[in-house]
Amino acid sequence: MMRTSGVCSAIVLMLLSALAQAEQAGWQLFDKVQYAVKHYNFDTSFVVLKGSKVDTYRWLHGQTAEQEIEHLIPLDTSGVDILRRNALVYYLLTDRPAFVTRASHIPELPALLFEDKDTIRQLYNAVVGSSSVMSGRSAQLLRLTAKQGGRYHYWLWLDAQTGFPLRIDTMSDNQNALERWLVTHMQISPELPENLRALMAADLPKPADNTVAAAFNSSHQLTWLPDGYQPVAEPASIPQLEGSLLSYWLLSDGLHQVSVFVQNTQQLPTQAYRDGATTIYVQTNAQLEVTVIGPVSIDTARQLAAAVR
Amino acid sequence: MSLENQDWLSAASDNQPLSKAQLDSLLSSAQLQQTLERYQMLGAVLRHETQSPLPASFADDIAAALQNEPTYQLTDSQSLLSRIKNGVAQAANGRWLQPVAQGAVAAGVALIAVLGVQQYQQPGEEMLTPQPMLQTQPIAGFATPVSLSQTTVSDRFAEQEQQAMLEQQKRLQALLNAHRQQVRVMEQAQQAKQQNNDGPKPNEP
Repeated sequence: MMRTSGVCSAIVLMLLSALAQAEQAGWQLFDKVQYAVKHYNFDTSFVVLKGSKVDTYRWLHGQTAEQEIEHLIPLDTSGVDILRRNALVYYLLTDRPAFVTRASHIPELPALLFEDKDTIRQLYNAVVGSSSVMSGRSAQLLRLTAKQGGRYHYWLWLDAQTGFPLRIDTMSDNQNALERWLVTHMQISPELPENLRALMAADLPKPADNTVAAAFNSSHQLTWLPDGYQPVAEPASIPQLEGSLLSYWLLSDGLHQVSVFVQNTQQLPTQAYRDGATTIYVQTNAQLEVTVIGPVSIDTARQLAAAVR
Repeated sequence: MSLENQDWLSAASDNQPLSKAQLDSLLSSAQLQQTLERYQMLGAVLRHETQSPLPASFADDIAAALQNEPTYQLTDSQSLLSRIKNGVAQAANGRWLQPVAQGAVAAGVALIAVLGVQQYQQPGEEMLTPQPMLQTQPIAGFATPVSLSQTTVSDRFAEQEQQAMLEQQKRLQALLNAHRQQVRVMEQAQQAKQQNNDGPKPNEP
C-alpha cells in the first residue's frame, strides 16, 4: 500500500514538474517575441483579418544606442502615419494638426507584444505548441490560455530563428478565431533603415502635458467588474461626447481595456456587434442606454452593462 | 593636344586601364573622345573587324533616349518627412487646440473602423454574428414590430428603418472612436496622474 502511494505521488510529482517546465519554456519563448519586436531593426508588412474585412499595415522599427523608433503606416487609410520615438507616439495626419501622446508602445499594434510579462503571466498560461512551416519559414506555436473565462486566448506563431511574431490569432472561449494578425513580409536587418534614421532626427511637435481628466460618474455606479479588471482612475475627457454622455468608465486588466458608456436612451433594442475581437454591446432600458466596448465576450459585456445602477 | 595625351588614349584603345584623372578628362573633352573613337576604328581595321555589331550612332541614340527619360521621384517616408518639415510644429493636443483635438484625431485615425461596423452585421459568417440570445434582432440591426414587418406596407418602413440604422451606426462609431482614443491616451493620463501625486519629474525615459 505504502509502495503504491509512493509510486503514485512520484508520478504526480513528475507530472507537476513536467507541467511547470512546459510553462517555463512557454514564457521563455514569450520573452523571445518581446525581445524581437523591441530590439531588432525590421521592415515588415502585416494584415489584420476581421471576418471578411482586411486591414493592411507596414511596420518599421529601428534602434540605435540611445533611441528607439517605430513607424506604423495603415495602408488602407491614406494620410495617417503613426510614429513612435522612445516614449512619445505621434499621429501625423495630412490635413489636420498632429496628435502626440505619451505611450511606451503604439496602441494600434498588438498590446500583447509589449506589455509587461508579469502582468500577462497573471492573466495567462503559456504553452508551447507544435511547429509548422509558415511563409516558407519554420514557425513555433505558443498558446496563451486565459486563466479566467470571458477573456480571449491568444495563439502566437513565432519565427523559430528570430522569435519574431508571424501570426497572432485571438480566440474566443470556444476556440473560434475572432481576429487574425498575420505578417506577410518581414525583413530583419543589422543596420537601422535609412528612412528611419531621417525620421529619428526630424523635428516633431511637442506633447501636451495637460491632459484633461474627465468629470464623469456623478450619478451612476458600476456594481460588478470582470475578473482581473480595475477601473482606471481619472480617464481622459471625451470632448466630442460631452453633450450626451452621462457616465463613463474605462476598465483595464493591464493588457485589455473596456469602455462603459452611459447615455440617455434612444429607444433602440439591445444588440451586439463585433469588430474583430472587439465586442460592442448596447443595452437599453426605459431611461438609459449602456454601451460596452472592448475585447471581452458578449456574455461579459452583458454582465457589465447590467451592472450599471 | 599633347603627345602624352595620345599615348594614354592609344593605350586605352588597347584595353589598358585608365586612371581616375584620365577618365575625368576623357569624359569632359569631346575632342579626346573623338580621338579615342578614331583610335578604336584604326584598331578595328588593323584587326580586320570589317563589321561593327552596333550601328555607328549607337552612343548618340542612347544619349538622346536618356534626354527624353522623365525624372523619377521615388518617395517613401520621404513624403512624411517633407510633411513634417512643412509644419506640424503645433501638436493637436497643444493647449489651445485641446478641446477639438481628440475628436478630430479620433475621426482621422479611426476611419478603418467605419467599415467594420457596417460589415459585421452581414449574416453568414459564424464568428461575426452575435450569439443566439441576440439573434432576435433582424440582420439590419433594428427591430421592427412583427405585425408591421409581415405586411406589405413594410416597404414604407424600410427607409425609416435604414435611416435609424445609419443613425445608430454613427452613434456606435463615435463611441468606438472614443474608446480607441481612450486607449491611446491612457498611458499619458496615468503618467500625468502619477506626477501630480509624486510631484514633477522628467518624463523622458
